[in-house]
Order: sequence, then structure tokens, then C-alpha cells
Amino acid sequence: MKVAPALPLADALWTSNDRALELMRVVATAREAPVGQTPKGLVWRKNKARLYRYRRATPATRRTPIFLCLPLINRAYILDLRPGNSFVEFLLDAGHDVFILDWGVWGPEDRKATITDLVMRYLPRAIRRASEDAGEKVTLLGYCIGGVLATCFAALHPDAPVRNLILFTTPIDFADAGQFGMWTAKGSFPIHRIRDTLDVVPGELIDVGAKMLNPIGSTMGTYLQLYERLGDAGFDPRGWQAMYRWVNEGTPFPSAAYHQWITEFYQENKLSKGKLQMDGRPVRLAAITLPFLSVAALSDTIAPRPTTSKTLSKVGSRDKSEILLEGGHVGIVVGRTARAELWPRVTEWLKRHD
Amino acid sequence: MTKQKAKKQEAETMPPPDPFEMWRKFYDANETAWTKAAQETTSSEAFAEMQGRMLETFLAFQKGARDAMNTQLATLNLPSRDDVARLGELILGLEEKIDQLDDRIAPLSGKRKPSASSARPKAAPRRKRRS
Repeated sequence: MKVAPALPLADALWTSNDRALELMRVVATAREAPVGQTPKGLVWRKNKARLYRYRRATPATRRTPIFLCLPLINRAYILDLRPGNSFVEFLLDAGHDVFILDWGVWGPEDRKATITDLVMRYLPRAIRRASEDAGEKVTLLGYCIGGVLATCFAALHPDAPVRNLILFTTPIDFADAGQFGMWTAKGSFPIHRIRDTLDVVPGELIDVGAKMLNPIGSTMGTYLQLYERLGDAGFDPRGWQAMYRWVNEGTPFPSAAYHQWITEFYQENKLSKGKLQMDGRPVRLAAITLPFLSVAALSDTIAPRPTTSKTLSKVGSRDKSEILLEGGHVGIVVGRTARAELWPRVTEWLKRHD
Repeated sequence: MTKQKAKKQEAETMPPPDPFEMWRKFYDANETAWTKAAQETTSSEAFAEMQGRMLETFLAFQKGARDAMNTQLATLNLPSRDDVARLGELILGLEEKIDQLDDRIAPLSGKRKPSASSARPKAAPRRKRRS
């Protein structure tokens, strides 16, 4: 007499579906995916922050080096994800010298670090050192929160050695900040208690918030997409692994900086209203006169379109333009289409402003 | 009887069900509706309030656990995480003071030495002509 398997589905899983096993292997080993492989050297350091200069095989053919200012809650390797899918590599190939400011991983001793500290005590020194190292003024390029830091810096330091300002998916006007704006609204969000209880806001907590923006797509959808692509003969899972690693490797946010971020930017919208002050000095967007480029995404849920749409009209630059792309917050910058749709347009703009 | 036999044979020769394929079909059929429902739920003020209350609970638990741990460590005469963090803060304060001094001294001492990565790549050795 034949005995039916106790768990027919499990039996099928292990015996008939190699793709499922491959999916599990790819996910389980994603944390070791090689990332940020472009060679670089250390130029400057402060606390956990490190300023690196990427090594060029040949001398730069463009005059203006690029200074990349990343968000302080994500790993800096997002712009140098892997060979063939690296914005840094693209900039180097276009003839630029490239610097990157990696904020590192914040610890409990950084609980009192604020956004003001980053703008007034870290960025000025890092940018000056990059400029001294290259012997030229730099193009300051900020991504997401890094873009907010770059904006505040440019508004407060008109004499800094900066030639151009570029923002990638950077929220500036928080009057309608979408779901994040609603979740962090005054009254319901315990921001003061967060500051008083936590030294640093764990990366996992911020990650949960980001995933809640699209709870179905960012959970089940992620694995389903991988499952489907594993069926393509030419699919290289290492690219997927590198992005998966980045998404799940968030860094903690110092609680004082988080408090300032939520109250002064999200809740009170001080930057856009011209009421933000740092070290007693007003941060005025109209004071930015550098040649300016804003890159925004139409389907961005982290920096929704209303947070980016007024930026151009608020900055004081005469030479200002915007690249508006269909896509999401990360997708337009480092997704599969970025190399064709965004990066060449940015290097073209840089060529005109070299 | 023959029909039943044929059906049985067919069932035996069919590949076993693929759970991932079933999952994919199930997801494809429901994804739009689920996403819409999730978006509607998470975009409501009620959700924001509920999330705030959950955070409050999490923070109260964190505070309780931390206070309890600090008390135990103090009883054992051992430094707590807060003590170590305070030490770290002192070091960071010193680092900031050194940076401020450096800000003042650097302009007086001329240009800084370029970093190793700024060095121009060495020219490739010339090829020797074959005689």
C-alpha cells in the first residue's frame, strides 16, 4: 500500500522547484554581496564620517570634481553599488574626480549630534578638504537627506569652494509630505519621547517606516520579482543582491538629529518657509546663487512630488533647471534605467557647468 | 473504469504542484486590491494615531528595560552604556576642539599635503625597442 507524503507541498518544494531553492540561496547570501568596489583613498575623517577620493586610472579631463553628500541613514555605497551599475564609475569615466562623504554608522555617543552639526561642523571641513585636495572648487551633489544638508550648506556658506549644486530626489517643501508627513504629524507622533528615550533611532525602525509606504510591493513583491527574474537565462542575481543588501542595511539616526529633522523640517516646514536657523543664522533658499540642478521623480513616495516641485522657484540661482523622471526615489538614481535616462543627462549638465 | 484509470495515470505523471507558481498566481490576482487597501489604511489619520501609540508602547518598554539594566550595572559597580557613551562624547568634544585649532592653523601653514589618491597615476614604463 502506497503512503501519500505527509506534506505534499513541501515535498514538491524540495524536489521539483530548483528556482525556489535558488531564490532562498540568493536571499540568504545577499548580505555578503560585494558592493562599493571602486578603489578609493581616505582624505579626511571626523568622528565616524570619512571623506574618500576615488582613484582614477588616468588624469581627470574635467576641471570640476564632484563631491557626493549621501543621506546619513543609508550606506554610502548606493552610488557605487557594483561594477557596471555604479554612478561613481560613470562619473569617473566621464572624466571627473569624485569625492564621497560617508557618514558612517552613528553610535550612542552621537546622540546629541544634530543636522546643524552636520551642516556647520562636518560639511564645511569636508568640502574644504576635497577642494584643497583637488585644487579646484567642487560640484556639490546631495542625495535625499544628503541633498537637504547640501542645500542648507550652500545657503549658509556662499564663500565655500563650491561651483555648482545638484540635488537628487531631495524634499525641500514639507507642506504636503505624503504619508511620512501624516505619520510624523504633531500630536500623534511621539518625537520628543523618541529623543528622550533612544540614543539613536535604529535603522530597522526607519526601514519599517519606509516599507510601510508600500507594504505589499516592498515585502512579497520583492521576492516575487526575484523569483520571476531567476527564470531568465541571462539574469545575474548579484545586482539584485547588492540592492537588497543596501535596502536592508540602514544605519541609525542620532536622536537629536532625528528630532530636528522631524520637528523643524516635517512638522514646521521651516526650510521652505525661510524660518530655519542654524547656529543662529537664517537658512535662506534665496541665498543660493550657484548654478543649480534638481532631479526629481514623479512616483517618489519618500520625497513626493509636492516636496520637490517648488524647489526651483525657491532657490535664488539664475542658472537653474530640473530633470523630472518617471520612477521612484531610488529607481531613477540607481535603478536599471538610470544609466540610460539620468546619468548621461547629469554628466551633460556638468559638462556645460565645468 | 478505464476513464478512472486514465485519470489516475495522468495524475501520477503530472509534475507535483509548484507552491511558488501558486503563490505568484495568487499574488498577481490580488496585488492591486491589496495594495489599494494597504494604501488606504496607511494613509488614514487613524493609522497614524495607532502607529504613534505603538511607538509609545515600544519606547516605554525600551525605557523600562534600560533603567532596569542601568540599576543592575550600578549595583555591580560596572559602567553602563550611558557611561560609555558619555566617555565617547568627551572624546568627540576633544576632536572638535582639535578641528577648531586646525581650522585656525591650516590657513597660516599654507597648502595641505594632497592625499595619496590625488597623486597622478604613474606613467607606464616605456617599452624597449627590440633590436
